[in-house]
Amino acid sequence: MQKPIIKLRGVCKLFGQFQALYDVSFDVKLGERVVVCGPSGSGKSTMIRCINRLEEHDSGEITVDGIELTEDMENILSVRREVGMVFQQFNLFPHLTVLENLVLAPMRARKLSRTEAEKTAMEYLERVRIPDQASKYPAQLSGGQQQRVAIARSLCMKPKIMLFDEPTSALDPEMIKEVLDVMIELARDGMTMIVVTHEMGFAKTVADTMVFMDHGRIVEVAPPSTFFTSPKSDRTQLFLSQILSH
Amino acid sequence: MPKVLRKYWRLSQRSRTFATIQYLLFMGILVWTVVHGANQMGYQWQWYNIPDLFVKEFRGEYYVGRLTKGLWVTLQLTFWCVGLTLLVGLITALLRMSNSISGKALATGYLEVVRNTPLLVQLYLFYFVFSPILGIDRFWTGVVCLTFYEGSFVAEIIRSGIQSVDRGQWEAGDAVGLKKGDIYRYIVIPQAIPIMLPPLTGQIINLVKHSAIVSVIAVADLTTEGRNVIADTFMSFEVWFTVAGIYLAITLSLSIFVHWLERRAAFSR
Amino acid sequence: MQRKKTKLNWIDALVVLSIAIFVIVIVRRVESVLNYTWDWSKIVPFFIYVDRETGEWTKNLMIEGLLMTMRLAVYGIVASAIIGVVMGLCRISSNLFLRMVARSYVELVRNTPPLVFIFIFYFFLSTQLMPVLGIEELARSDSPTVQWLIRILCGDPVLFSNFISGLVCLSIFEGAYITEIVRAGVQSIPRGQWEAGKAVGLSGFDVMRSVILPQAVNRIAPPLANQFITLIKDSSIVSLISIQELTFMAVEVGVSTSRIFEIWILTAAMYFVICYACVLFFNWLERRAARARR
Repeated sequence: MQKPIIKLRGVCKLFGQFQALYDVSFDVKLGERVVVCGPSGSGKSTMIRCINRLEEHDSGEITVDGIELTEDMENILSVRREVGMVFQQFNLFPHLTVLENLVLAPMRARKLSRTEAEKTAMEYLERVRIPDQASKYPAQLSGGQQQRVAIARSLCMKPKIMLFDEPTSALDPEMIKEVLDVMIELARDGMTMIVVTHEMGFAKTVADTMVFMDHGRIVEVAPPSTFFTSPKSDRTQLFLSQILSH
Repeated sequence: MPKVLRKYWRLSQRSRTFATIQYLLFMGILVWTVVHGANQMGYQWQWYNIPDLFVKEFRGEYYVGRLTKGLWVTLQLTFWCVGLTLLVGLITALLRMSNSISGKALATGYLEVVRNTPLLVQLYLFYFVFSPILGIDRFWTGVVCLTFYEGSFVAEIIRSGIQSVDRGQWEAGDAVGLKKGDIYRYIVIPQAIPIMLPPLTGQIINLVKHSAIVSVIAVADLTTEGRNVIADTFMSFEVWFTVAGIYLAITLSLSIFVHWLERRAAFSR
Repeated sequence: MQRKKTKLNWIDALVVLSIAIFVIVIVRRVESVLNYTWDWSKIVPFFIYVDRETGEWTKNLMIEGLLMTMRLAVYGIVASAIIGVVMGLCRISSNLFLRMVARSYVELVRNTPPLVFIFIFYFFLSTQLMPVLGIEELARSDSPTVQWLIRILCGDPVLFSNFISGLVCLSIFEGAYITEIVRAGVQSIPRGQWEAGKAVGLSGFDVMRSVILPQAVNRIAPPLANQFITLIKDSSIVSLISIQELTFMAVEVGVSTSRIFEIWILTAAMYFVICYACVLFFNWLERRAARARR
């Protein structure tokens, strides 16, 4: 049995009075593709945001690639460099060109030279199929293009793990496919991925493991074959019937 | 960063008590420096004389102290200015939004002149030029000058308050067949007032602060009285801190009021 | 906003009528009651005059005052911007102690009258701080380079320590307002930018430097330019602590010539021209920057 690269043990998270995560325990192995789904407010986003410590968990234990997430800033920084993240709202840096967006972190955090960083950046722009947009500003691109730039930006740090926080929710329908295609390709190359999404077609294609969350708890963990055909929990069944009916 | 520094930083982020202790220490050192410096110069502290400046007891009878008198003048000044400023602001705002050429020109000219000259120079202009021409006394010169100055801010507050009411409201008023005056009175103004109230109160705070400038033309307000007492008694530190404290008490209580207004406005929406 | 068509109507009649009445009353009072005769020519030598000995045009009090005002404004905006940036960053720091200090500074300065603040601070500064800093000694230094530098940068060396205390008062006063401008500018950057910066592995310092501040600068610049104009205007207050800038000089000239009406109208006009020119210039810059961004 392979050792897990991400390990969550009894993780709890409170926002004031509201319990966003309740005793979440969960493992991800190297190369595993996990799709997390559930109704809004169920704690999916909070969980993956805890993995690179954009949110601090209140209790429990999170270990990423052998490093436990504590208050130690050095540890957090090295985890963040191993873990890429793609946001719902893209969050590209609007004052920088596409290329500058991509080289910023490799140059500052990995101390690469500009030429090296730009070379890697162009490679990843090729992979997300927009090398010709390198000198444009984010505001000049379509939503789908912006999200692909955001994916390339994360990849430039050569992360071992990629987190996707509803990457297609803010996109117009005709742009969703171009982003999902890039993600599918990434999955084929063996990237460890955790994806929060409502795109069940995508989940069926790439997921090794499906996770269903509700009210801050993990309700069900199963491979897609059984998850979609014979979910154990009633809540999962209800959720799936609602989301798949249209 | 060295480890000790990082530990310290973490503690300051996390612990309220730790930060408060630091803050008190820091303020303590600051106060000590001032006091120590004053003592070095041989400064005689006479805090015990300060209460007399508010209320004085003489042979069993109580008299109003000099700072109280000054405060009363400052409040009077503020009172008259608030009333007149609202009037000037309202007229200017209406002229600016009107469709009359000379009305617009007058309002814009007034706003630009006030905005682009210092208050002190305006005060001198009023004191040396307009008040002898029109024959008004110091107090009213101060009132007119402050009104003229603050009126420009109030005009902009009123204008943006009225314009922040959604255009759909005007159209709806038109659609149900109301006259322009009635749309203003029954639809626009009632919606604009809660929006304007917090900035208007903020402007009163500014008015209280700016009113101190009339001490330059010797209107016997709080600041003037303070300066006079200092000239008589040489209690510079005590009197200035007391005067600043009084202003602070007025302005801070008004700004707490503003916060309360804003919160209430935010809830009701 | 819909553009309403402007036209002449009853409001114009009213406005023109009241202005006319106002002007007539003033002119009548000046001529008949006060018996004031205008004489602008007496003022001119206080701006510029021909030196009897050298025969050259020489600048006089009013121009000296104007230069002093400009120095105060330019040095003042630099100094207060530095204070503002430091305090503004303290204001949003995660360190509670720094937040408390910055908050106290801002609230204290913004809630006391400028006049009272300047008097208190000047008293404290001139009696305690200036002797400690040794500004006087610097001004009295024998070195010709120091003397020359002071003359070029700050005017008459005799008034150097006086100038510095005025400048410090003004900078600390305006710094509180710039603190709030900086805070608002940084806080206006969406949270997502912080998160994205952290998520790609930048340190907090790097996120601030490379992601947040460059964006915040665009939002800070317009109110900062505005603050510069405010600084020009507020600098008139330091005339009350005998800093010899434009307003101070106008008082002097007014007293010595008794051409009071002329000098004050002219002084107000000078401030107006400077400030309004700045407004136009900054507006032009902003429009150009907006076009460049597109």
